[in-house]
Formats: sequence, structure tokens, C-alpha cells
Amino acid sequence: MSTVSWITARGLFGRRRFLLLIPLPLLLVVLAVVSRVLKVDPGQWGPPILVGLGLAVVLPVVALIVGTGVLGAEIDDGTVVHILTKPLPRWQIVLPKLAVATGVTAVTVAVPLYVAAVLAHSVRLGLGLVVAAALGALAYSALFLALSLVTRRPVLLGLVYVLIWEGLLGNLVTGTRVLSIQQWVIALADRLAPTDLLSTTVSVPVAAVMTALVSVGFTVLAVDRLRSFSVAGETS
Amino acid sequence: MPEPTGVIHDIGYQRYTGPRLGRRHVFGALYLHGLRTAFGLGRSAKAKIFPWLVVGVVAVAAAGITAVRTQIGEVVMTYAQFADRMSWMVIFFVAVVAPELVSRDLLSGVLPLYFSRPLPREDYALAKLLALVTALWLLLGGPQLVMFLGAAFTTDDGIRGVWNELLDLLPGLLYAGLWAVVFASIGLLISSLTGKRAFAAGGIVAVFLMTTPIVGILSIMPSQTVNELAFLASPSTLVGATGAWALGDLLVFEGSSGPPIGGFGPLYAVATVALVAVAVLLLLLRYRKVATR
Repeated sequence: MSTVSWITARGLFGRRRFLLLIPLPLLLVVLAVVSRVLKVDPGQWGPPILVGLGLAVVLPVVALIVGTGVLGAEIDDGTVVHILTKPLPRWQIVLPKLAVATGVTAVTVAVPLYVAAVLAHSVRLGLGLVVAAALGALAYSALFLALSLVTRRPVLLGLVYVLIWEGLLGNLVTGTRVLSIQQWVIALADRLAPTDLLSTTVSVPVAAVMTALVSVGFTVLAVDRLRSFSVAGETS
Repeated sequence: MPEPTGVIHDIGYQRYTGPRLGRRHVFGALYLHGLRTAFGLGRSAKAKIFPWLVVGVVAVAAAGITAVRTQIGEVVMTYAQFADRMSWMVIFFVAVVAPELVSRDLLSGVLPLYFSRPLPREDYALAKLLALVTALWLLLGGPQLVMFLGAAFTTDDGIRGVWNELLDLLPGLLYAGLWAVVFASIGLLISSLTGKRAFAAGGIVAVFLMTTPIVGILSIMPSQTVNELAFLASPSTLVGATGAWALGDLLVFEGSSGPPIGGFGPLYAVATVALVAVAVLLLLLRYRKVATR
């Protein structure tokens, strides 16, 4: 474990704000258990919990908080200078941070999703969702990490993507789903564990290629932006 | 012994002799400043991007609805439905504006300067809250006015048609006010907890979004009472159910029914009032002992 990832992990867990990450996954598990105990038909409670809460809210929001936190918080504090002045290649700064962000997001989201999916359908669906959510965590983290280097307001821009692009337009204009990480995750999970709980209009090859493309592309962009990064004060 | 050579120059300092404005004026100034901050007025272009993006989306939606209404004569959605459909934009607007209003003051540590004026701590919180409520109400009410004007100028019944349209608009504006009060009080409470705008925005969105699926789950539970009480779980459905109960036929589209809340309407109204009261109370408590740095 490199020093950069160690610092990043401590920056993430060393503050009270990481408690923000607990209620969302907990809610997912509690709702799934309650639905199961009361013997509601899984076909009815599966989609709203797994997709409506898990993949549409918990995954992007956790990825947003963590992904913009690993680098954005340091940029805000100005402590990023300490890392930038060390004789490290830029990719050795970006990649560990991306790894930590992806790992934390994946664990936070995949565990409750696995529990809920096992309660709803089968272990296979659980594993499929875990793999798909981990890939989604990678894509989201790369996107939000790059955002925190491109703009001074990464959280708001990330919210524009999550709320307006994926949430609002994804429901109204089906064509925008081709560029929606949420739909790729659904497509991949449905391919890994075919059930009638998940459905999307995006094809699996498109989803796989686009996930890889977004993950690599935004990581390269982040490395490139960090190469010519200028430290400025907070915007007014 | 030499004479002292020092002189005291009169460089023109003057005492302020005008009227000293009191608490009411401080409150008014703070409120106006908050309202201008909400829309980024008097600030850099970067601060205007996100508020006006939301305003733009809402305005385009209203213009589209008005165009359909005036050209084809079809009512796409009522004034109240417009507020419901724009709920995601309202959440985003709160996430943009609420941290600007309070988190920046926490981060830069200017609260001691504010509180050294004749400004009680409650006034600071209430002025900010009132500014956010007003901004939200303008965000929802402005487009409704556009829709009203579009409908009023194309009505076939003369002044009577305009009057009917106005009677439809007023409950819609009242309903927008309900949205504004509920969302502003919760959003401001969350963002007053942290000085970081980024985390405040994330927290607001997390709270508002994670409560919506709970409603979906509760309304498929095998108990009618739970189903009818499900809308209590999320602020947006709570507002919808309360509005449908309180304003009734004025709000709900002809032919369709509102949320299936059974006979629990009064309970929803009480819950809304209690929610707002608790949020405002917690906000005031927060500023009673605010850690200023």
C-alpha cells in the first residue's frame, strides 16, 4: 500500500463525515429485510430497492461523496501542495487515490446490495450485482475524480450528472441512457445473472465498452489535468 | 530647553451623526443579501452558473407547457402538478443555494462579526431561512405565472376565463409556498451543520433522495394503513399528500385522484407542520451555540 493511498484512506476515515456513508447502505438492508420478513412478493420490492434505491441513489451518491473527497477535499484545504511537491509521477498520485475511492465505494455499496439481492432472488444475482456495482464504482469514481480536477465545484457538477442527466433525462429521453453509468451497471448485472428484476434498454457490449472507456478515459484526463494543475483559492 | 515641535494634524475623521438603524434593518439587509446570494446576484459569473441553470431548466419546461396550451389548447399539467414534476430541480436548487447561504459563513468564520451587531442569533438563522424560502417560491411561482399569462391571453371566455384561470393559479402558488417552506427548512438545517459546501450539498441530496424509495416500499406492504401512511416517509410525497388534502379539488387534475392517503389527511397536515417546526427549532438551537471556527 503506497503512502499516497494510506494518506487518502486516513483523510477519508479520519473525519466525522465518513459517518455519512453508513445510513444509506443500512437503509437498503433494513428495507430488504423488512420486505422479506413481511413476505412481500420479491417481484414487487426487488426493483425499487435494488435499482431505485441501490443503483440509482446509493451507488452514485456514495461514489460522489467519496470520489470528490479523495482529491477535492485536499484541493479545497490546499494540502494537495504537499503531495504535488514530492518527486512522484502524477499517475502515482491519481491511481492510488482512484483505487481507494473505488474500493471504499464498492465495499460500501456491494455488501448491502448482495444482502438485498440474496433476500430477493438468489446468490447468483447477488454476485452479479456485486461485480456490476464494483465496475460501476470504478467508472463513477474515475468520473468524479476527474471532475474535481477540471472544475472548482465538482460536487455540484456531479449532482447535475446524477440528478439531471441520469435521473431526469434518463427517464424522459431514453436515448440518453447510452451515456448513463447507472444503465450500464444494470445491463452488466442482468447479463451476469439474468432475472426479471432488472431491465434496461442498453445492450451488454455497449455497456461493457463504455464502462471501460469512461474508467480509462477519465483517469487519463485526471492524470493530464494534474500535470498542469494550478493551486488557486476558493471561488467567490 | 527646546519647544516641542510635534503637531496633531486634523485629518478629517468625523463622528457618525445619522440615525442608527436597529434590529429590523439588520434583518432586512441580511434577508435581501441572502436572496441575492441565492441567485448569485452581485457575485462572480461562476456563482451564477448553477442557480441560473436550474432557473433555465424550469423556465424551459414552463415555456413548453405554455406553448402546448396556447397552440393546441391541451392542458399538459396543472399548476400544482408543475411543482410536483419539478421536485428534482427543487432538490438540486436547495443543494446549490443552502450551502451558499450558511456554509460559507461557517467556513470563513465571519459569524462573530455578524453577532457583534445588534443582531440576535435567531434573526440570523430566520433571515437566511426566509431568503431561501423566498428564492424557492420564486423558482416555482415564476414559471407558474408564465403559464398563467399564456393561458389568460388565449382564453375564449373573456374576462371570465381569466378569472377562472386566476382561481386555478392561486392554490398553485400556495402549494409552491408549501414546497418552499418544507424544503428550505430541512435543507438549511443540514447545511448549517458543516462548513464545507461540497459535503452540505451531498448531504442534502442524500437525505432527500434516499427517502423517496422508502415510500415505494411502504406502499406495497401488505397493510392498507401502512400504504396510506407511506407518504409520510419522504418530504416531497409528504408535501404532495398534504397539498392534495388541504387544497383538494383545486389541486388535483379533473378525473384523476390524488395520492391514496385514505382518511389520514389531517395527520399529514400535522406531520408537515411538525416537520417544519422541528427543523426550524433545531436550526435555532444550532445557532444558539454555534462553534465559530
